[in-house]
Amino acid sequence: MSVAFSLTVASLKMYFRNRQAIFFSLFIPLLIMVIFGLLDFDRFSGAEIGIVDQAQNETSAAVIGQLSDRADDLVEIEIGSLSEERERLEEGRLDALVIIPAGFGDDGAHSVVEAISDERSPQRAALAITLVAQVMGTVANERYGPPPDQPQIGGFSLEQTSLRGDDRSYTAFLVPGIVAMSIMQLGIFGVVFALLQFRQQGVLRRLRATPVNPAQFLFAQISTRLSISVLQTLVLLFAGIILFDVAVGNSDILSWVMVIALAILGGILFVTMGLAISGFARTEEVAAPVTNLVSMPMMFLSGVFFPLDALPDVVTSVTQFLPLTYLADAIRAVVTDGAGVTDIWGELAGLAAWTAIVFGLATRVFRWE
Amino acid sequence: MTSGVEPGNPVIVATDLRKRYDDIQAVDGISFEVYPGEVFGMLGPNGAGKTTTVEILEGMREPDTGQALINGIDVSKHPTEVKRIIGVQLQANAFFDRLTLSELLKLFGTLYGQKVSPGELLDRVGLGDRGKSQFVKLSGGQKQRFSIAAALVNKPVVMFLDEPSTGLDPQARRNMWDLIKGLKADGTTVVLTTHYMEEAEELCDRVAIVDSGRIVALDTPLSLVDQLLETGFKNERPTRDATLEDVFISMTGRALRDE
Repeated sequence: MSVAFSLTVASLKMYFRNRQAIFFSLFIPLLIMVIFGLLDFDRFSGAEIGIVDQAQNETSAAVIGQLSDRADDLVEIEIGSLSEERERLEEGRLDALVIIPAGFGDDGAHSVVEAISDERSPQRAALAITLVAQVMGTVANERYGPPPDQPQIGGFSLEQTSLRGDDRSYTAFLVPGIVAMSIMQLGIFGVVFALLQFRQQGVLRRLRATPVNPAQFLFAQISTRLSISVLQTLVLLFAGIILFDVAVGNSDILSWVMVIALAILGGILFVTMGLAISGFARTEEVAAPVTNLVSMPMMFLSGVFFPLDALPDVVTSVTQFLPLTYLADAIRAVVTDGAGVTDIWGELAGLAAWTAIVFGLATRVFRWE
Repeated sequence: MTSGVEPGNPVIVATDLRKRYDDIQAVDGISFEVYPGEVFGMLGPNGAGKTTTVEILEGMREPDTGQALINGIDVSKHPTEVKRIIGVQLQANAFFDRLTLSELLKLFGTLYGQKVSPGELLDRVGLGDRGKSQFVKLSGGQKQRFSIAAALVNKPVVMFLDEPSTGLDPQARRNMWDLIKGLKADGTTVVLTTHYMEEAEELCDRVAIVDSGRIVALDTPLSLVDQLLETGFKNERPTRDATLEDVFISMTGRALRDE
């Protein structure tokens, strides 16, 4: 058995016998994922309605006017051209699209208002449709009087269709983000604290008294962390599939292979970052704040929990270059969109560049004792 | 006085070793030879340079100048080759957490490319029934004995023991002495650093007394005592045939208490 392999097996044994470490590294990300997934942030924001006014007459103005009057925290109204609004709907930025046809409300003609709702946000879409229907009812009453008097021919009605797009629910966004975050946490925290402990216990010194090559020891550390990182990724994805109905890419082997490959690439980057940190964080008092200082901003600014769009442009102009942003974006592209290698080459280049930078840093600052 | 060691080619040759840390000359020209099968003691107050000297011999520290040979191999030039044939027991007995003693010994075996039988090694140091225990769960004496077992996995030509009985109770210390005598009986050369003169007298064929980075005396324990007496030295305390430790052992027995 090779030395590096035995050391890897030994440190995996050590890892799995450390119940606390398993709890913190495997279970906590799962817990965060479940909590945030169940919170379902979709529910907390108002509905956004896009209106295409092809009538441009008094009646359509009345409907839009009333909708705008009602637009408080619950709804937001946006008026634009058909192609614009259609695109917004498809991108998931609208919950419903209302198309008021030409000649809307003209005498003697029955016009049908088309409302297309987004199934991906059912609660908000339902709210939007109900509101539009109410307003149209009010306008009809004003114009034709109460229902019995309304003309059988003429007037207007609402026809509702829905758009079933790709699943882009919050959990579909969250799960790949949490996977990326846990790869980072495992890499940085796992390595920094394992090496810190080995150094304090004098294990590293004891190993130096044997013929073992430092590179073999480091290799074993890295392969241990990568194994755990892959395992963690699989656990989180399976939980996502079971609990939140998340699909991994096109549910084919290639997508799984891509995700695992990304878990390994990301693992290498963050394990190396851990080695670099452990080079100058020689005591727990230093290591704890430094690892948090490095990982915390990435956790919240790399689009793990919320899309980067939610941040001000000034902030995203920097955070789009964070290592975790590249990893989270790449994993999300594969999991959510079934992206192939060519679709994520930008992210891969970003990861490669960061790995080169961090590796250079690690070789400079890493010390055995 | 004869040392009781068969003359032959020395297994350790240290020639004019020097090592400086910042403003302290830790080792200031140390030379000595150790012969096969010998138990060689390094005595000296803290900071005298014994540990640095031993670390140079173990290939864990580069000397500024001088040369150390073990079995004819230059330690500075081929540290890994030297590490393959020596056994090292360090003052801080550090082993991985959460592995059993058997697993640790097997792991150490693979570090040397050797297949080991953990049971045999543990038996040899009196821990035959503790194979499934973890290192942290052991008592002080057991830890020291285990670290000797770990140093034996590669059947070393030379064994370096750094204060192996520090902190042990008299029973455990005597047990350690028996273990070291067993190593000698098996033909292993032992380099022992200690603060206990009694231990050195009991175990060492020759001792080097180190102070301020230099060897100030090197001989068998007995002839060192004789040399002192020849200068007209007189012990002010009356000498008796027994010590308080003898009393302690006779009253509490030799049986180990840490099992």
